[in-house]
Amino acid sequence: MSKFLLSHPVTFYEGINACFIIDLDMKKIIETENLSFYYGKRQILDHISVGFREHAISAITGPSGSGKSTFLMTINRLWEELNGAKMSGRVSIFLDHEKLDIYDRGVSLSWLRRKVGMVFQIPNPLPMSIYKNLVLPLQMAGFKKKEYLRSKVETVLKQAFLWSEVKDRLPDDARTLSGGQQQRLCIARAMILEPAILLLDEPTSSLDEKAAREIETLLFSLKKHCSLLMVSHDQAQVKRVADEVLELVDGRISELFTTPSSIRSTKSGIGHFRP
Amino acid sequence: MTRLFDLLLYAFTWLCGLILVGAFGTLVVFLLINGLLALDFELIFGSTAIGDALFLKRVVIDGLLPAIVGTCLLIIIALGTALPLGLGAGIYLAEYAGKISKSFFSLIFDLLAGVPSIVIGLFGFSLTLYLHKHFTSIMPCLLISGLALGLLVLPYLIRSTQTALEELPTTLRLTAAALGADQAATLRFVLLPQAVSGIFSGIILAIGRAAEDTAVIMLTGVVATAGIPRSLFSNYEALPFYIYYTASQFRNQQELQRGFGAALILLILCALLFTLAGLVRKKVSKRLMAK
Ligand SMILES: Nc1ncnc2c1ncn2[C@@H]1O[C@H](COP(=O)(O)OP(=O)(O)OP(=O)(O)O)[C@@H](O)[C@H]1O
Ligand SMILES: [Mg+2]
Repeated sequence: MSKFLLSHPVTFYEGINACFIIDLDMKKIIETENLSFYYGKRQILDHISVGFREHAISAITGPSGSGKSTFLMTINRLWEELNGAKMSGRVSIFLDHEKLDIYDRGVSLSWLRRKVGMVFQIPNPLPMSIYKNLVLPLQMAGFKKKEYLRSKVETVLKQAFLWSEVKDRLPDDARTLSGGQQQRLCIARAMILEPAILLLDEPTSSLDEKAAREIETLLFSLKKHCSLLMVSHDQAQVKRVADEVLELVDGRISELFTTPSSIRSTKSGIGHFRP
Repeated sequence: MTRLFDLLLYAFTWLCGLILVGAFGTLVVFLLINGLLALDFELIFGSTAIGDALFLKRVVIDGLLPAIVGTCLLIIIALGTALPLGLGAGIYLAEYAGKISKSFFSLIFDLLAGVPSIVIGLFGFSLTLYLHKHFTSIMPCLLISGLALGLLVLPYLIRSTQTALEELPTTLRLTAAALGADQAATLRFVLLPQAVSGIFSGIILAIGRAAEDTAVIMLTGVVATAGIPRSLFSNYEALPFYIYYTASQFRNQQELQRGFGAALILLILCALLFTLAGLVRKKVSKRLMAK
């Protein structure tokens, strides 16, 4: 027997107030409570309370400027690298069945960002060799053994479907790869630390259709290794890959669905839970 | 219209380049014509046998060897003290300083950069006088000149380090941060390897400045004849001072020619040091990027 919970009330375009039904039995990996965010005085996120499932692809959609990227940055605390930003509320992640408030004093930023990897909208290989790009996160985490680094590189490149394409050119500058290859490299680089969560900010928007599809397939296969939270404004893509969808409008939850197929059909209705 | 403008702009920039190359070429040719005749072993070692001079068996009195050694030592002392300080301060300004301390420090360093070398020489001179009052053994010497030159080149090193780091795109920092790098790791693994060539252009500038400056050393310990300095606390000779000295007091054409020879040697020395700096740069950036 499943347990259910009503979510924080949400206001829709039409002024209807509604609550989402949250399944308590479904294992969650990320949970936010009353998450608000400001750049200076401007409010970007407004009391967002939401949870995302473990080992799933959760998509965040919404119009440009609605706060999607900002939302992602609250989950690895990357916004703290920017000036003039402020946050309130709570973000927790679940590791080994333990709930952990990531803004807790005891949490180290480096540790958190190794557990919560991130892939950016524009592929961002560092200006160094392919190999060096991949081992850098490990080196910065203190791993030194050459054989270990080598074998990890091979593992993640295979995971990212990139091994056969780059195995002979590991010493080449990473920026000589194609856009799609660069993005897969960035995904591989994020995966090398074995994160529990992978954040992706429109990972395919700078790529053509074919490269985008390759990334989608890759993301699908990564579900068994970690939980993915992906921003995408491509509805078709969301339908193809997402297990659940959160729509943000003006920093608020507009709709929350657990299956992407219901996006259009209930556009103006109340979000509901479909097991 | 725009085509014409483009063409004019192109012609103008090309002309600027040409003028500079021409000016530099003229300078080199002029030096070569005047100095090449004087340039031989005799100019460097005087009447002393080369072996004796190199192994310090006999003092070279009428050659340039002591001046060459003096100039090299000055550069080593100046860079040796200014480089760690400059790198440190530059990194601090670019990476760690808050808004207020940044503008405060920047102001101070800009002021320092604007101080004429003669004033820095005067400062070194007063320092020597002060020290002499308390420790009578301290006279104008190599160490004080080197330190004063270090002060002179410090702003170049600070600025070049700072700008080299600040010019790097923000995405580099964000990328590193997202991969779990703390500030030190970001600096060590991502930023510094990228900033190496900017930092080295500052170092090259500093070497050149330390090699050529005359005002500072004139007030702090350079002399016409001293031989190769025995310690940090002795008098010394230096190439720029020799050039200045011969140019202002030459008695015959031959002496003037020796001055040109010295200028040529200074130029060659600088070129060698720049090449060396370039090699070190390659080495350093390889080390920083190492697997
Ligand atoms: N560094 C910043 N300083 C100030 N305001 C910012 C900053 N970054 C983003 N914003 C503002 O915050 C709001 C939300 O930005 P965000 O990047 O989260 O939107 P987004 O939903 O990701 O949009 P897009 O789909 O275009 O990527 C925007 O109005 C933006 O102008
Ligand atoms: Mg965005």
